Order: sequence, then structure tokens, then C-alpha cells
Amino acid sequence: MVLSLDCLPEELLQHILHYCQPYTTATLEQTARRFRGVTNEPALWRHYCLSNFEFWAPEHELPRRLAAPISGTDWKRLYILKHTSYRATSRLLDSIICSQVGRIQKFQAITDLGFDAKDALSHNLLVRSKADDQLARRYYAGAVLSCLHRSFAIREWAKLRSGEQVSLSRALAAFDLFICESGFGSLEEVISRLDQIIPMLVANYPEVHLKTSRDKARTIARFLRANNLTGIEPGRGYHCLDHNFIGVSLKDPSHNSLPLVSAAIYCHVAQGLGLDARPCGFPFHVHVIVTPPVGFDIDDQEVEAGTRGPPIYMDPFRSDEETPVADLQHQLNFLGASAAEEAMFLGDSEISEIVLRCSKNILNSLQRGSNSRHARSASVDLVSAKYAALWSYILLSDPARPIELRQNLPWLMELLAMEFPADINMVEQFITPLFDGTAEYNHILESLHVMRAVDSIPREIKRRSPQDDRVKYRIGQVCRHRRYAYSAIITGWDVECGAGEQWMRRMEVDRLQDGRHQSFYRVLVDDRSVRYVAEENIEPIITELMDLPHTLVAIAGRYFKRWDSNRRVFVSNIKDEYPDD
Amino acid sequence: MSAQMLTFLSNDGVEITIARDVAERSVLIKNMLEDLGDTDEAIPIPNVNEAVLRKVIEWCEHHKGDPPSTGDDDDSRRKTTDIDEWDQKFMQVDQEMLFEIILAANYLDIKGLLDVGCKTVANMIKGKSPEEIRKTFNIQNDFTPEEEDQIRRENEWAEDR
Repeated sequence: MVLSLDCLPEELLQHILHYCQPYTTATLEQTARRFRGVTNEPALWRHYCLSNFEFWAPEHELPRRLAAPISGTDWKRLYILKHTSYRATSRLLDSIICSQVGRIQKFQAITDLGFDAKDALSHNLLVRSKADDQLARRYYAGAVLSCLHRSFAIREWAKLRSGEQVSLSRALAAFDLFICESGFGSLEEVISRLDQIIPMLVANYPEVHLKTSRDKARTIARFLRANNLTGIEPGRGYHCLDHNFIGVSLKDPSHNSLPLVSAAIYCHVAQGLGLDARPCGFPFHVHVIVTPPVGFDIDDQEVEAGTRGPPIYMDPFRSDEETPVADLQHQLNFLGASAAEEAMFLGDSEISEIVLRCSKNILNSLQRGSNSRHARSASVDLVSAKYAALWSYILLSDPARPIELRQNLPWLMELLAMEFPADINMVEQFITPLFDGTAEYNHILESLHVMRAVDSIPREIKRRSPQDDRVKYRIGQVCRHRRYAYSAIITGWDVECGAGEQWMRRMEVDRLQDGRHQSFYRVLVDDRSVRYVAEENIEPIITELMDLPHTLVAIAGRYFKRWDSNRRVFVSNIKDEYPDD
Repeated sequence: MSAQMLTFLSNDGVEITIARDVAERSVLIKNMLEDLGDTDEAIPIPNVNEAVLRKVIEWCEHHKGDPPSTGDDDDSRRKTTDIDEWDQKFMQVDQEMLFEIILAANYLDIKGLLDVGCKTVANMIKGKSPEEIRKTFNIQNDFTPEEEDQIRRENEWAEDR
């Protein structure tokens, strides 16, 4: 008999199948009985699961399955489940890229898949640069992925609001999920970064577990400060936006963070080492309150059963030692705090209050930094940071103070419409109910309704007629504003000014040389805004992709498939609206 | 030491002499030599005939400078089926020889060669329909039509890729 594939021993067939794609293995199964068993080997499908998918929704319980005997899981079934989610995500993304209609619903369908959508989205984010629609693909994969990450954060804050147990670290890590630059895609990733500090500390201080509570508290502060894990290095602006984000500061080599974030890092490490450490609501500067266990004082001396010694206050932002409580009281007296207020300021703080303080700090950093070099030196995106602060502010502010809620709502709605339309579902789920019974309620419903309506209706088709060549420039051309000099890409046109009478008056359109009866263009600008510009102010420019602002290229995918380096224009992805451009 | 020559005896009775460092690409032989110490006698390779043995030696000669495989196969990494050019050419043999090489590499414990052989087979299966696979490897379809139909339905997910 001639030696062939079906003569090989089982182990060698396994070896070969490890090099095959899962669908190839599925095809081999269909050839003959000999291959039924070998292609259904659980170890093989576990290998396919682990090598093809990096991200697993918690409900799959992957860690538990990996620890359990291999036969406890139907790995092939699990693979098929993941494969199906992967394909569904890819198809939805293709459809989002293909058509401007119905995107909201498709975004929702992908984010409903949660973690299981992440592999497909990440792969599309890394699409090769020769792909026909690489700009659009990267843009929309990124948009859905960041929407998904925000949904993890928002759910965490919503839990906190409804009174569920949420750790301080997770509640603050949620801010990082709004920030693409942080590189974090789940709360767990931030937590594991925090957890890494603990063994480092133990390696430095192997005897730390034997210390008294007080010495432990000091050792932790000393270690964090010596390793530059808390505080802000000299010469750096205190209010730099980056300092508000726990994940960003952990990843940055110099780990600069505000007192609030430093305190949270301290609490995480201290709790990991068995201390009862929580943030304290001291005004202006968050401290950590370390409480001895029941029956003991902070120096581990026994006290009367059922009681405990007084706590100590740590300030890991600026000191290795505890802050004497007398100093804190002195400061509070100076501020004129009553006895009741003093007790509150020296007690531990609700986690939602700390989150709210973080939101306020971010808005504060943004306000102070709006024109300073600190803001511009920030690595985090200002718009995303503001958006994170607004969400947390609205979700966690005291219902007894509705004014704060109302003040922030219009900002949030504006960012939603301009920057994050994919989040409309989350606004409906988490924000709208907060305003039930207020004057804003109907206004929100109306805005969301309009957004959905616009999204679901096909765009009005704008054709160029051969007789009428009044519209000089085309979709995808790069231009400069003659007066304001910003560079931009043309994303739409009207034969004549199509804005309302009021707008035309306010913008003094009739004072333009050619007035309102010239073509007008919608252009995408590198600050992410879309502006409406008269033809006489458009100066087409011939450029290389590399010479365009990075921010402009990053958002070009919203309207364009790719850059055409021969014609030096962006290739339209809005042919459903402008078929002739 | 590296210039030391060793003689092997194939299962069809042919003696082949090669340098020790080439022979030691085979973990089986390496371990055997460590146990035996130096030997002047021909070492029998009972499972491999001359033609296959010469082919295996050709591969070992070419790859004698490769870093030794670390042995820790990370299962979670996606395995690539890329094969370098020389190996691709080397594997352009008839199917019988291909499977003989795989069996010999497995027996002699030459991981690099076994991997190249298995990748070559994986690439031969890739992208084919069940019927094309049967034709390629001369596999008899022993399913009943009902069974065939059921298995096809079980694997419908794999059509969507």
C-alpha cells in the first residue's frame, strides 16, 4: 500500500492540523471516517481558540476553563461561537464602511457583542496600508472599538450610581477607557498594571508583612515615592491633563499624578498588602486614611475588644510619613469648618465622591490649560478627556443638586452629536432616565430622535449636471482657506449657499465678493470641525499625504476610503451622496 | 570534536558516514551518543531506508548551523505555515517520500524537519474542497450519504470566512 495522509499516526496528524486553519480542519473532517476523531480533538480546538482570539467576554469564563481538565469544555463549540461573533462583527463593520445609512444600529449590534467583538475590530484597525478602503476601515474600526471601551467604563459608573460595590481603582480606571492614547482596552488591564506594583514592593521589602500597620503604611509610601510612582516631578505643570488618569500615569515612565490619583494608587497597593486604606475626603488634597483592624491600634497593640485605635493619615503625593491629624485639623479650622464638617472631611470618602472630584479636576485642568502650553503638552486627547469628565459628572453627581446635572448636559449632547454619535444608545440607556420629569427630558428625546432619523434616511443625492459646471472643486480635494489659512478636505458642496438666512446674515455672506450665489463647500478641518466655506475662499492645494496634519488624516476616514497618491486627492467613501465626485 | 565522523546503517543495509554535529540535529542520536560514548561501529537506524536517510542528512547538513530548538512551544501563538525557500525546494518530492521524511523526522526527533514536513502537508490541504483533498491524498470516502450530509451541515460555519 502506498503511504499517504490517512496512514500517518494520530500524533503526526495532530501536528499537521496545528498548522492548519480551523476551516481547513473542518473540511478534512468531511473527507473520510479516519479523520473524524483526529479533527475533533479538544486540545486542537483549544489551540485554535487561544491562537485566533485574544479577547474573551467574561461570560466565557476562559481562566476557569483553562485551569479545568480539557474535557470539561466543548472547545470546538466555543471556537465556532467565537468565529461566529468575529464574522458578525466583520460584516457589520463592512456594512458601516459601505453605507452612510443605519450606522447607529450597526454600531449597537457590534457593541452588544462586547469583548467578543474586539478581535475583529483590532484586526481591522491594523489593516494593511494598501487596502482599498484603509482610511475608512481604520477610522470606523477605531470608532467602534473606542465606543466599546467607553461602554465598559460607563457601565462601571452606572453600577456605582446604583449602589453596587465598585472598587476605587476600577472607578478611576474607567476614565482611561475614554482615552485611546492610554492604550488600555479594559478595566482589568489597568488593574493588572496596578497589581504589578505589589510583588515589586514585596521583593524590596520582604519583611513588609511582619510590620505593624503604621510601619507598613510608611513602607508603602516610601516605596511608591522612591520609585516615583506617586507625585509630580518638579518643573511639570500641576494641572497637566495627563495627571488625572490613573492608567496614563502608570504607563508614563515618570508616573506623574495628582494627589487624588496618587492616593488611589496607594490605596490599591495598601489593600493588596492587607491594610484598610481608603481615600479621605479632605478638601483640595486627597489623603489616605489607614484604619487599624478591630481590637488593635495602628502599632498593633491590643485595645479594648470591639474598638480600634485611631486611624492615621497618609499623603503619598508628597510624604513618606503620616500627616499628623492636628495639622489637618488646623487647616480645617483655618478654613472655618464646623465640627460636623470636620468629622466629614477627616472621614473616609464615598468612591463616587472621589470619581466626581476626578471629573471636576479634569474639567479644571481643561479650563486652566485651554490656552496654556500644559494643555498642548498633554498626551491625552482633550475632547475625549472632557467627554469622560462630563459622563462621570452627570452619572455620579448628587441628585439633590440638579443644577450641576443641567449645566453639563448641553456639553455632553454637543459632543455626542459632533464626535461620538455611536454612543447614542448609551445616552438613551444611562442619561435620559436621569432627567425624567425635568424640563430637559423632552429636549433630550427630541435630539436623540433627530439623530436617529438623520442616520436612518438615505442622503439626498447630489449630481453634477454636464451643463452646469458651477461647482468647481470636488469631494476629496485638499484645500486651504484663503483668509484663515487652515488646511481642510472638501466633504460636501452646494451649488449656492444652502445655509439658513440667519446664518448668512450672521456670517455676512452678502459681503463676500460673489455673495450667496456662489458654490459653498463643507470642509473637514484638522481640529475635527466641519466648516462651510464659500468657493472664493477655497484655495486648492497639491500636497503629499505626509505633509498634511496628522489629525486631519486620522479623521479623513470618516468620509474617505484612501489617499490617491497619483491624483493627490482623497478617494470618496460618500458616493451614495455625491455619485459624480 | 565537531569534525568527528560517525557511520550509520540504514534498514536496507547501506552505510553512510557523516559529521557528528550534523548527526546531532537528531535528538534521538544525540541522546544515544551521550549514553554510548564514542563508538567506531556503524549505528543502525532500523526504521529508515537509504533514500530517506540521505534526504534527511541533506536537510541536517543545510541546517547544521541553526540555533537548537528551545522546545517550549507556545501553544497560544498562531502557528505560521511560512516555509523558507530552501526548505520549500527540499520538500518538492513525491508524496510517498514526503510522508517517509515526516515519519523519519518524527522517529529521529528532528523538530525543525518535522515542522517543515507538517507545514508542507498543511499547505497541501489548505483551500481545497473535501473532494479535492480526497483526490490529492487518494483517500476513500467511506461515509454513507446521510453521514456525509450531516457532517457537512455541522461544518457550515466554516463556509463563512
